[in-house]
Amino acid sequence: MKFEWTKENKKEIEDILTRYPTKKAALLPILHVAQEEFGWISPEVMEMVAQELDISPAHVYGVVTFYTMYNRKPVGKYHLQVCRTLSCAMMGSDRITSYIKKKLNINIGETTSDNRFTLNEVECLASCGTAPAMTINEKYFENLTEAELDKILESLE
Amino acid sequence: MSTPLAKVTIDGKELEVPAGTNLIEAAKKAGSAIPHYCYHEKLSIAGNCRICLVDIEKTPKLSIACNTKVTDGMVVHTNNQKVLEARQSVLEFILVNHPIDCPVCDQAGECKLQDYYMKHDLKASRMKEEKVHKDKAIALGPNVMLDQERCILCSRCIRFCKEIAEEDQLCFSERGNHNELTVYPGKKLDNPYAMNTIDICPVGALTSKDFRFKQRVWFLKEVDSVCPGCATGCNIKISHNKGVAYRLLPRQNEAVNETWMCDGGRFTFKPTNAENRLRHPMVRSEGALKVVRQEKAIEDIAKVLAAVPVSSILGIASAQFTNESNFAFWKFLKEVGVTDFYYQALEVSNPSQDDYLIHPDKNPNRAGVEALGLKALVEDKRYQLIFILGDLPSARLQKILLDRQRTVVVFSSHEGEGVELADIVLPVPTWVEENGTFTNKQKRVQRILPAFSAPAENKSVWEWTSLLAKACKKEKPVYQQINEVMADLSETIPDFKGVNPDKVGNQGFVLMS
Ligand code: SF4
Ligand code: SF4
Ligand code: FES
Ligand code: FES
Repeated sequence: MKFEWTKENKKEIEDILTRYPTKKAALLPILHVAQEEFGWISPEVMEMVAQELDISPAHVYGVVTFYTMYNRKPVGKYHLQVCRTLSCAMMGSDRITSYIKKKLNINIGETTSDNRFTLNEVECLASCGTAPAMTINEKYFENLTEAELDKILESLE
Repeated sequence: MSTPLAKVTIDGKELEVPAGTNLIEAAKKAGSAIPHYCYHEKLSIAGNCRICLVDIEKTPKLSIACNTKVTDGMVVHTNNQKVLEARQSVLEFILVNHPIDCPVCDQAGECKLQDYYMKHDLKASRMKEEKVHKDKAIALGPNVMLDQERCILCSRCIRFCKEIAEEDQLCFSERGNHNELTVYPGKKLDNPYAMNTIDICPVGALTSKDFRFKQRVWFLKEVDSVCPGCATGCNIKISHNKGVAYRLLPRQNEAVNETWMCDGGRFTFKPTNAENRLRHPMVRSEGALKVVRQEKAIEDIAKVLAAVPVSSILGIASAQFTNESNFAFWKFLKEVGVTDFYYQALEVSNPSQDDYLIHPDKNPNRAGVEALGLKALVEDKRYQLIFILGDLPSARLQKILLDRQRTVVVFSSHEGEGVELADIVLPVPTWVEENGTFTNKQKRVQRILPAFSAPAENKSVWEWTSLLAKACKKEKPVYQQINEVMADLSETIPDFKGVNPDKVGNQGFVLMS
């Protein structure tokens, strides 16, 4: 597969660039455009983005690997990201993660063989007041329990 | 317009500094050394290591000195209890995942983590958890090795590449405990200034592929010199021990190289201990060069000098040799009546160059030989007797030699094409062993000092020419020591007027013309 910007991507990028003082400053939203288009940020895509913004691939790499919202591997249809930081850890995020692992029969960083679920741990989701928390794709799920999880997973197509 | 001054009190000492000076520099002037890792005077401020915390009166919390600019009336404490405790805590944090593998680390002995720990911390670790492990011994590029565990994430190397080398090749990947220095996957740290990152890395994370594991730094001695790699003449230090050079480090000279040098320049000491090094005077007999006593070589030269008409003698100086070597060579030949002179220079096709330090002329002293009034070699006449400094390519030499009854006298540190054609060879020191000066492209006369002595029978050109002058019954030029050569040079050659060792010092002296 060759990674190439679509016409729409290009227009969107152009549009985003008008909103930032420098090209470099637009890195995060442009990476989002890329992730939406390709599903993940491959090395090729990082170089494409670097070229687009006149910055070094090294800089893009540093940013992509810093933020957990950028996928560095293809993910399944549903990307489960469980918070593992302090508040959630104290409220049992470990249990939540183990439960998901068992239920979906995958480890952290893995995707189910039907390509539907990917499980990852992330740092604080800024939802500490309702710990333990996780996101599935862009959506938040809070005050998680095992029973709650069963319901959530069943509701997904 | 001069910058307004600000009055500041640092550790009880009142002083005035230009407003906007950062606290690390201001404290330096006040005689207080504030520890720092990420701060580097030539790089942008990152403010990430936090070791430079100081106490500023009327400020509720401690502030980082590197990113605080002096304002009028500021009162700063760099050593009170609060600061010392903060420093200890910062060090404790930095050491949480540090491998402390000093016994096998090349930086040991010149490591800021060791130094600051000994000076400011000295507490046992309270860590019970397993340390985070990362990769060790990664070749980041042709010259630089990385140990990710030792890296304290100060980002100096990243900023250097971005801001000075202008090749943004390094970055931090991941975050938190897993934050680590890296190149972009599949790429290399291969810019022509990459090895400066080794020098500015405060710890042993970046080390030199060439130097590592060769010497403990506390065994090394240092001497000031100048890189002979090109006409820029970056100021350097030679690290050496027991007659062996181990590495070259840049030495600050704001007018020349600031605090940097190029990677190519770092290897210019290598020929000193090379296999093809010349160590004895030689004279050709029965078709081959044979080692002889120095008296025999001198006698033979005096004999041919007496036998050949001066109009058929040529002296070829060298842009690779010092001002003093070239001057003594020229002056001696002049004294015996020679009138034809040229100089030779190292010619490189497609030389590396940039608009910063790397100059396309790969000779350290072209400006110097030209200031002596010498011109680059033109093959326009044939000579019976030729004196050459250095190794002249044989194709060029053949063009200026008579076919028969010819004699070639070469002063050289190494074997080579020209030496192969020579009849008499006098061994000389390499630049690492030489005492004298080079004149760089700015006409700045810069001092090189010998790291150690040359092999026993190798003599500087001016020592050989002094012996030759005596053998030819000349009173001049006979010198006992380098300072006499310098004085004579300065008296004889108008361009060098006023040049003396004190003026040249360790920052150089620019010629008048
Ligand atoms: S490798 Fe050295 S200079 Fe670079 S970030 Fe790490 S500690 Fe700093
Ligand atoms: S720029 Fe020239 S003088 Fe400076 S280190 Fe490199 S080769 Fe040596
Ligand atoms: S600790 Fe989990 S959301 Fe903040
Ligand atoms: S030197 Fe000031 S924060 Fe690093």
